[in-house]
Amino acid sequence: MRRLVWVLFFAITLSVGLAACKKATPETPAPTEAPAAEEPAATEAPAAEAEGFQPLVVTDESCKTSKIKAIEALDEYTVRFTLCKPDPAFLAKIAFQPFFIRPQEWIEANANEANREILLTQPVGTGPYKLEKWYRGDKIVFKRFEDYWGEPAKTETLVFRWAKEGAQRLLELQAGTADYITKVSPDDFETVKNDPNLVLLPVKNPNVFYIAFINTVKPFDDVRVRKAIAMGIDRERIVKNYYPEGSEVADFFTPCVIENGCVGEPWYSFDPEAANALLDEAGFPKNEEGVRFETKIYYRDVFRVYLPEPGKVAVEIQNQLWENLGIKAEVIVMESGEFIKKSTAGELDGLYLLGWGADYLHVTNFLDFHFSKKNPQWGNPYPEIYEPLEKAATIANPEEARPYYEQANNAIRELVPMIPVAHGAAADAARADVKNAKAAVLGPPELWTFEPAGRDTLVYLKAAEPISLYCADETDGESLDACKMVTEGLYQYTADGEMVPRLAEKCEVNEDATVIICYLRKGVKFHDGTTLDANDVVRTFDAALNAASPYHVGNTGAFAYPEYFFGLMNSEE
Amino acid sequence: MTTTTAEATATRIRATSPWQLALRRLLHHRSGLVGGGIILFLIFVAIFAPVLAPYDPNAVLIDVEPGIQRRQKPCIHLLGCPPDQPQHIMGIDGNFRDVFSRVIYGTRVSLFIGFTTVSVAIVAGTILGAVAGYVGGWVDNLIMRFMDVLLAFPSLLLAIAIVTFLGRGLQNALLAIAIVSTPVYARVVRASVLSIKEREYVQAARALGASHLLILTKHILPNALPPLIVQATLGIATAILDAAALSFLGLGAQPPLAEWGSMLGEERNQVFTAPHLVFFPGLAIMITVLAFNLLGDALRDALDPRLHQR
Repeated sequence: MRRLVWVLFFAITLSVGLAACKKATPETPAPTEAPAAEEPAATEAPAAEAEGFQPLVVTDESCKTSKIKAIEALDEYTVRFTLCKPDPAFLAKIAFQPFFIRPQEWIEANANEANREILLTQPVGTGPYKLEKWYRGDKIVFKRFEDYWGEPAKTETLVFRWAKEGAQRLLELQAGTADYITKVSPDDFETVKNDPNLVLLPVKNPNVFYIAFINTVKPFDDVRVRKAIAMGIDRERIVKNYYPEGSEVADFFTPCVIENGCVGEPWYSFDPEAANALLDEAGFPKNEEGVRFETKIYYRDVFRVYLPEPGKVAVEIQNQLWENLGIKAEVIVMESGEFIKKSTAGELDGLYLLGWGADYLHVTNFLDFHFSKKNPQWGNPYPEIYEPLEKAATIANPEEARPYYEQANNAIRELVPMIPVAHGAAADAARADVKNAKAAVLGPPELWTFEPAGRDTLVYLKAAEPISLYCADETDGESLDACKMVTEGLYQYTADGEMVPRLAEKCEVNEDATVIICYLRKGVKFHDGTTLDANDVVRTFDAALNAASPYHVGNTGAFAYPEYFFGLMNSEE
Repeated sequence: MTTTTAEATATRIRATSPWQLALRRLLHHRSGLVGGGIILFLIFVAIFAPVLAPYDPNAVLIDVEPGIQRRQKPCIHLLGCPPDQPQHIMGIDGNFRDVFSRVIYGTRVSLFIGFTTVSVAIVAGTILGAVAGYVGGWVDNLIMRFMDVLLAFPSLLLAIAIVTFLGRGLQNALLAIAIVSTPVYARVVRASVLSIKEREYVQAARALGASHLLILTKHILPNALPPLIVQATLGIATAILDAAALSFLGLGAQPPLAEWGSMLGEERNQVFTAPHLVFFPGLAIMITVLAFNLLGDALRDALDPRLHQR
């Protein structure tokens, strides 16, 4: 009996002791939950350990496949990004939805095959709205997040719906079953303007529509032919007659709203005489029927802000080529996927009509993407264009980079890999009684600021249903729009296109744009009640960018935007 | 007196020959006359299109007529359109072209499609059907089973498949429609040949030592013509519809060719905002197809004595 008493005494003492030891670190977050062996590239940084906080680090010292060398939580509210080489557009890129912050614990719990459905459909963020329910095929309902760190959403309930046809969206707006619709058909602009119950909201999304040449295809291997077509196409006539109000003739590939976008010599003015002389000089005289040569015009029949009526514009260009230059062109419409695949691979044997809309507001999003050494869409790359761009990309100060962009723009003008035609305008529409309704330059409008008169539900109608709500691995606008309601980035674009700190109070960039230190806003709550800290940021970037991370799980696994913006860390080449 | 009576009898016999009888019946067929009249009118329009059309069908009028509006509604001076505004009786399309001129030129394309495809299909179908019916045996089996395979597919679907394989364009669309139309003619001809080749006059020709080719071309095929003519007239309507459908889908006529189906396809999204752009080409297709169907029905009534007797 005495022995039993002693055993019980020791057992109780040991239990109390163990309980006391555990209680010493009660608020320790989850980074230690996953065994170190499963996290080769995202580890704790013991040197920087603070009380109750074990900072995470993600590294890729090799810099072989990614522009990012390390992402480190320096303390609870400080994150450091170390880049392999300068990237002046770093902050502009992370202001895009695929890099919006999710809680570390939520990612670690759900970024796996077992909980993939939760990862894709039940987002948790810090945004002004939290997801209530996604009724697949019908609607998504969001509710105001009452613990939002900033000014709470004006309307209690936000509903995302979708209708493919522009006419149907307009009908719903007119009927009052929607409060805001996107992409009003240009033909309906007047209808909206003339309706006192509606308001047309111009969208100033930077974009460009261009006519492209492939310099490995005859006769476009001759720069004189490309230049002649550049001079022989009346771009003003195209914009004036086939684009909605607010569209502009493009004098540069990059819209002027983007810094360093339109520096250098503007594009050629319409001069059919000079164009014909160039074609004669290039050895393409007119035959008895007035034909110089025959070619093809490829396009896809898909509405885009930069090309709202592709078929009509294709026929207009066909007509202008014949009337102004004596070039006979066959118009060929292609299936969208096939067209993108062949055009971007430089495999079309004629002209093609394509465009680009901004992902982030930096000149690299236009010039570097299109004219880099690796892009085969124009045929052989042009060193005269990509060399100055490569130099400019290493300079953080826009003023210092300016001469290189000027040089690149002038080389584009001289070598004519394409003809910039238009910067298209688009418009959304809202019911006139929706207070603060305004379209955004990039992405969705700031719906949390909208106030529909006398209604506690705001209905937002888009063209399609989101694919998923895990935007690190999505590229469709519908998904990205929904993500912006629920999640937030370190930086974010305002409706006017101004890049402002959001979850970061500020980010400091060193002189050569290789080290960025971000200081997080304090007291920010996620929808699940957890508090934002630096580990949430590191884990979010780890899941999106680190191919070796166990949390690098998404909808398709492609992680297209993270890969395109920075390259994936620790990825196989 | 005897001579006179014989001549009168001969005249009477000539006057009541099957073709004349058929023509007489056709001329008394009211809907057939309407159909025929419309077709004659369409042929007239097609031939004189350059004279009748006020504009080149492909002319973009942006700098030609100041103040021209894209997808402008029809302007007819007689119906109150201001005289200072240029007259466009069917309006202006999305590429600033005169719709009336395009509809007129579209008549040429549609009739060309109808007559060409049916001609090709008749030639091919007649040869195949005649050989199958006349030779019989395994040749008949081989040809007709192949025709059955072609007939098993919906004609438009098969035409789409063929165009997809050959490549888009009017020429390939014509070929595709001709191919899918051929089995019908082959069956009609074979059926006629099977019945005619057993007639006494064919056996008599065979007994006299006439060659197979002579028997087929001189004694059998001419007598197989009436059902073929009826089928051809109805076939033109089908061919025009099929071609319009292919062009609507972007597989047939390519821009800027004025073809009714492609005109419909190009402006299909404007059905609420500019209905005139789909109404007029649609109306043209409807009238043309109706005309050929009316004439086809009338020809069937006129050329088939049994039907007439009933």
